Amino acid sequence: MTKIESLDEQTLSTLTQYTLPQMLAKQAQELGSKRTAIREKNFGIWQTYNWNDYLQYTKKVALGLASLGLKRGENIGIITNNRPEWLFTELGAQALGAVTLNLFTTAVAKELAFDLTRVQAAFVIAEDQEQVDKLLEVKEELSFVRKVIYIDPTGMRTYIDDPWLMSFQKLLELGKDFDKKSPHYFADELSKGKPDEVALMIMTSGTTGLPKLAMITHENFTEMARKWLETAPIGVGDNWISITPPAWIVDQMWGMGITLSGGMIMNFPETTETVVEDFRDIGPTVIITASWFWENLASKIRVKISDSSYIKRFLYKTCMKIGGAVVDRESEKKEVPLYFKFLYWIASRIMFRPLMDRTGCLQFRGAYTGGHPISPDVIRFFRANGINLKQCYGLTESGGIFQVQPDDEVKLETVGVPLPRTEVKLGEDQEVLVLTKSNFVGYYQDAEETAKSLRDGWLYTGDAGYIDDDGHLLIIGRKAEIMRTREGEAFSPDFIETRLKFSPYIKEAVIFGEGQPYITAFINLDFGNVGNWAEERKIPYTTYTDLSQQPEVEELIGGEIRQVNTQLPEPMQLVHFILLYKLLDADDEELTRTGKVRRKFVFEQYKDLIDAMYSDKKELEVKGQVKYRDGTVGTIETTVRIVKV
Amino acid sequence: MKAFRAHPSIFASRQPEENRAELEVKNLSLNFGGVVALDNVDVSVHTGELLAIIGPNGAGKTSLLNCITGYYRPQKATMSFNGQNIFHMSTHHLTVLGIGRTFQNIELFPGISVLSNMLLARHIHTNYGVGLASVFSPSVKKEEIGHRQVLEELIDFLEMQAIRKQPVGSLPYGLRKRVELGRALALEPKLLVLDEPFAGMTLEEKEDMVRFLIELNEGWKQTMILVEHDMSVVMSISKRVMVLDFGKKITEGPPEEVQNHPQVIKAYLGDAVKI
Repeated sequence: MTKIESLDEQTLSTLTQYTLPQMLAKQAQELGSKRTAIREKNFGIWQTYNWNDYLQYTKKVALGLASLGLKRGENIGIITNNRPEWLFTELGAQALGAVTLNLFTTAVAKELAFDLTRVQAAFVIAEDQEQVDKLLEVKEELSFVRKVIYIDPTGMRTYIDDPWLMSFQKLLELGKDFDKKSPHYFADELSKGKPDEVALMIMTSGTTGLPKLAMITHENFTEMARKWLETAPIGVGDNWISITPPAWIVDQMWGMGITLSGGMIMNFPETTETVVEDFRDIGPTVIITASWFWENLASKIRVKISDSSYIKRFLYKTCMKIGGAVVDRESEKKEVPLYFKFLYWIASRIMFRPLMDRTGCLQFRGAYTGGHPISPDVIRFFRANGINLKQCYGLTESGGIFQVQPDDEVKLETVGVPLPRTEVKLGEDQEVLVLTKSNFVGYYQDAEETAKSLRDGWLYTGDAGYIDDDGHLLIIGRKAEIMRTREGEAFSPDFIETRLKFSPYIKEAVIFGEGQPYITAFINLDFGNVGNWAEERKIPYTTYTDLSQQPEVEELIGGEIRQVNTQLPEPMQLVHFILLYKLLDADDEELTRTGKVRRKFVFEQYKDLIDAMYSDKKELEVKGQVKYRDGTVGTIETTVRIVKV
Repeated sequence: MKAFRAHPSIFASRQPEENRAELEVKNLSLNFGGVVALDNVDVSVHTGELLAIIGPNGAGKTSLLNCITGYYRPQKATMSFNGQNIFHMSTHHLTVLGIGRTFQNIELFPGISVLSNMLLARHIHTNYGVGLASVFSPSVKKEEIGHRQVLEELIDFLEMQAIRKQPVGSLPYGLRKRVELGRALALEPKLLVLDEPFAGMTLEEKEDMVRFLIELNEGWKQTMILVEHDMSVVMSISKRVMVLDFGKKITEGPPEEVQNHPQVIKAYLGDAVKI
């Protein structure tokens, strides 16, 4: 592994003096054309942009927007996937003092219209024809949008005459022309920026209602960058691969904050379908991603291994036993015997390292999981494989992740200790409170909610947790979501769901039991894995709906649930479950765009099914609705069985 | 950057005269023993056009394409392409002249990758010989890079980035059809002949294919002949349709006109039905 080129104390302490675009100008001056800033795979080749290129493109975009009339304090909407144009646009707009809001490319037209209206976006930068089509669909409602700028010109031939639209290339040309006319404009505007001004807005996930828009300042991100650069094993020239949506905090915090301030490299995959291959090409040095990424990867590895030859299965099983034993001893802070160390060394040569190389994980210095509680089993799985996977915790409102497990005290169930200059304490009802300079400054046009979550600088996270003897924080779940059974036993649905989801066959689980005598669940199958499982056993099925109602599949999932039940205290054990006839989907508003379950909505939508789990019924006729992305609605009619664990 | 994505260079750099594709076929007759497959058929295609040939099963559509692309040797015909007589010309000569095709039943090499399959089509544009190639001289390298660039641009256009290194045999049917189109385009044909490019595809795959063909024809002025069963697709992309039945041309004209032609309805639906 390469040596870490850390930044010195002096540089680190000055990071927060700059706005994000000023930071870019500084990096261009110091790192210039010697260092790579951005890589993007195009036409099968990784194309690079150095720090000068980065600044020049950003400048052109900024001046292009200026010549279109973008003014300080206005908002712009960005609907792109992960690509360099996103960074250029975001920093370009911020250089002029405008505020950016990234929206999900998967959002339907109505959602886009709603969010753009909320911020009265003056301009919209759209990924491609698909996004432009959505915007044209709701053009009537978007009279305040002065221009829509599209990035990918493919298929846009017939749109050229629409004066509302403009290509990104044209925007860059406008910027170039503007620069010739007023060569000092960019530098002047850039120097007007102040670190405590709002730079961007990020949509919160909105599990409990409408997504709110958290306002993040330049300083929020530069401070966050400083914390990470001080503590994490990262330095100049290290690789970050941008695979989570830019509308989400993770890639914003890294793209805008850490890679920018730390002189690291942003890598953009070719398409969303090539991520796995591109990931392996790059071999990123550091990764922070949601728990589902690790859960998916773990289940993929397990399924592939179970398909392999006898010898490979045997070796894998043996090596995992050795790895698991070492991890367990380490986390209990027990001495690892020498012969165990030797066995582990062999296991890592013949199994773990080659396996991690195949998945592109071999170069990791730091690997973090956050966003949602993760099963301790997954952590143990990856640690056994030699990956320093640690849990971390943060929110959009806290400007990203502020709580990380330290290297030498990784405990499977905690989210670790606060980063430097961050104070964490517990409030009423064990609510986690945090005080740091990276806390956001409020929700956009929502003083009431702001007052609820920000008091005297302390951020009220809404998560319940407790602090253990070593000062590690443990998150129990969303405070608002903690439930009680009829007997008054408190339980966290998250806690149970996370454990269920470690099964390679369970994609999503929703737990019920509020005010009820026992606990029940909806289960969504992992269609790929269960499908393979069924094929191997010659169980015929047609669609997801059909597969979910096969008795053998019920038995399979029943077994997985019984397994989980053994890890849970008696009152938290599952009694009934239903294999839901469709996958929960963001298009049906059952999930947020970040993939979290919107519990309340699911509860209302499937009330009959939930009630049935608390009655004597064995099965239930249902008529469900499925919304397609083009707005049409289909119906599913089927019989759902209620299964006893 | 995606923002700088332009037309693939093989199309963008084409001069108008290089696009010229004037096919003129008159009195084409093809017999297999006593069976008359095609009977005095006339076809003409002009530069920039997309001609669709439709007709019921066994009408002779594929036979007609096979005659045009040199796979069958008709007993009688006058055939010319860009003024040159192509009657009884062999397939590889026709390819060099600029007639490329895809097949109804996918004729790819399943064991090699998508890239290698497409690279095969570049042989007619290869200038180096065995000698230089065996030492991989700088000129060979340069040429190879040029070929790869052409292919990558096509891969980008056809959205095949995720499968470029996969063996064709492991791909689903719809994608294989796309690879075949890619290979035919890599020939840089003046006239592209497509034999049922939509057969056996899912709705989504069909929509993608329609998008590609429209872009090819309208955006890049690629001349095409298309044989297709799916009436709705034909009607949506073609401006001129020719109908064959039992080896004879029934009619030819704009889609709406053809659709309502009594003989066409009869050929497709039989006698008794009236619409």
